[in-house]
Amino acid sequence: MSLLNVKNLKKYYSAGLIKKRYSVKALDGVSFDVVPGEIFGVIGESGCGKTTLGLVLSRLERETSGEITFKGSKLSGTLKLDPETRRQIQIIFQNPYESFDPRLRIEQSLLLPMRINHICDNDAERREKILGYMKDAGFEPPDAFLNRYPHELSGGQLQRISIIRAMLLKPTFLVADECVSMLDLSVRASVVNLLLDLVERERTTVLFITHDLSLAGHVCDHIMVLYLGKMVELSTAKRIVESPLHPYTRVLMSYSPSIFKKREKINVKKLGVETAIGSGCVFEPRCPYSFEKCVEQMPPLIEIEPNHSVACWLYLKT
Amino acid sequence: MKNIVLDVQDLSVHYRINKKVIRAVEDVSFKVEEGDFVGIVGESGSGKSTLAHTIIRLLPTNAMVVSGRIELLGYDVLSLGEEDMRKIRWKEFSMVFQKSLNALSPVHKVGNQLADAMKAHNPNLTEEEIIDRLKQLLRMVNLPERVLKAYPHQLSGGMMQRIMIALALLNHPKFIIFDEATTALDVVTQGQIIEEIKSLVKSLSLTGLVISHDLGVVSELCDEIVVMYAGRLVEHGTTEQILQQPLHPYTQGLVRSLPDFAQEKKKLSGIPGNLPDLSQPVHQCVFAPRCPIATEECFKTVPSTEEIDGRRVACLKVGARI
Repeated sequence: MSLLNVKNLKKYYSAGLIKKRYSVKALDGVSFDVVPGEIFGVIGESGCGKTTLGLVLSRLERETSGEITFKGSKLSGTLKLDPETRRQIQIIFQNPYESFDPRLRIEQSLLLPMRINHICDNDAERREKILGYMKDAGFEPPDAFLNRYPHELSGGQLQRISIIRAMLLKPTFLVADECVSMLDLSVRASVVNLLLDLVERERTTVLFITHDLSLAGHVCDHIMVLYLGKMVELSTAKRIVESPLHPYTRVLMSYSPSIFKKREKINVKKLGVETAIGSGCVFEPRCPYSFEKCVEQMPPLIEIEPNHSVACWLYLKT
Repeated sequence: MKNIVLDVQDLSVHYRINKKVIRAVEDVSFKVEEGDFVGIVGESGSGKSTLAHTIIRLLPTNAMVVSGRIELLGYDVLSLGEEDMRKIRWKEFSMVFQKSLNALSPVHKVGNQLADAMKAHNPNLTEEEIIDRLKQLLRMVNLPERVLKAYPHQLSGGMMQRIMIALALLNHPKFIIFDEATTALDVVTQGQIIEEIKSLVKSLSLTGLVISHDLGVVSELCDEIVVMYAGRLVEHGTTEQILQQPLHPYTQGLVRSLPDFAQEKKKLSGIPGNLPDLSQPVHQCVFAPRCPIATEECFKTVPSTEEIDGRRVACLKVGARI
């Protein structure tokens, strides 16, 4: 049984001045299943719709069309959730300095959501619980940090606290949107490790959004690759990293700077196209392997091997 | 023996902020030989950008060069007058900045801005000569000629970064500094620009520095790497030495905190702790509070930079592995 089922999800934003209205297809027909307890990775470059997906799934943005089923009940259609479902879906944002109220002390920022969701009976118990989490996260002594304001903490410390803030509510489903991308390398590991420890302990399911393929390969069970709002590949993390099929995933792999192994670079056409044009494959304008069929029609996402789906005519030639 | 193009000796740069003195760069020395690219690697607050800005003398007014000497292409950079400096900056050496959108004026066309920078150093050139040179530059960085007539906001991040590279190459400099030149870009664009920089560097026989927090980027572009931590040089060696056999515990931690495709899913190891307060004078190894192998000795003495097997390390415990 899947925890979250997404069917043909679309999110269009309208843009432009009144006369030349056009729509930006941030998500264009995305379908997938997330099994309970897994870490589901979403990979893509800026503008591919990965953040939009996180916002729609955490019900902060309404979808244009499509269906979202969470634990068997329908989520799509409205942003009004019952408080219990609201508690079960939490989100961690990229920039912790922008996701904390600058005028509240850390203690207040952590207590407030617990009060609203009736976690524990009184503030003393809640405080006890917060201190326990902080101690596990390496804050020594934990109570010294509770009286501080967000700006008095470093990025890594504050991001660890925002993970704690989300996890204190015991969510079933957690969206982590680029949660380490603005942190320094040496503190990144401690934040990722805290997230992994907590979600393993609480058996939380995670949607892990990142642009860093090597990090996703490290952390995730499944990876979905998005390009301009379309799913181009979906498989286990191991397969995506070891034998990517879609040309875009292969290009992405070949260009990820790594100190471990120098890879052969795949040449792509020079200038990136930022919006999809016409009815062809979204990646066709940059694809080094494209042929006539790619210009005509967007390939469907087809399961080519067990647990490995790809949207590319190269694999659908029959 | 190759010529030394850049020689930085015992450089210390401090900032004065709210009556506090921030020690951004402390006692940094290194040399760059002709034709080499040296990467300066460090996390935010390590002083790498301050170092770059000191070399081309673009420091803000609250910064003071406390001690040291910088010799670049034969010029004693720190003692030159502002007017003399302006004559050689961008002609002899130049820099590619990180935030390209902030570096250009939003209300002037790209072509005019490039032409202005050209005229400032070559007042005798005719319009045609300038346009010819600009077109030639655009070809070098793989851009179509139409971008000359565009405003900065009409171009994508990758195109803007190529414009910044063209701007830096305008007057045939011999020395160039890339300050986080590819940081804000998407993976594929970043990869393409790195490839382009590599071939440009080769064909124009440039020397320079690459400032970055990303070991991957630096390892693609540089022959040598200088690792900085809290304003100090902690290790300096060839790219291979630094990545394969880091000697300083900080470098070791940095290399190990990189996730890799090849590894099995397991815990990433990071470096616990935070950057020290740079406003306090330090009489110990700056890394000691975060160092897993620090002993009492490390909290008492400032380690000097020792030369070992052709590389330099500032650590009392060199050789001891974590």
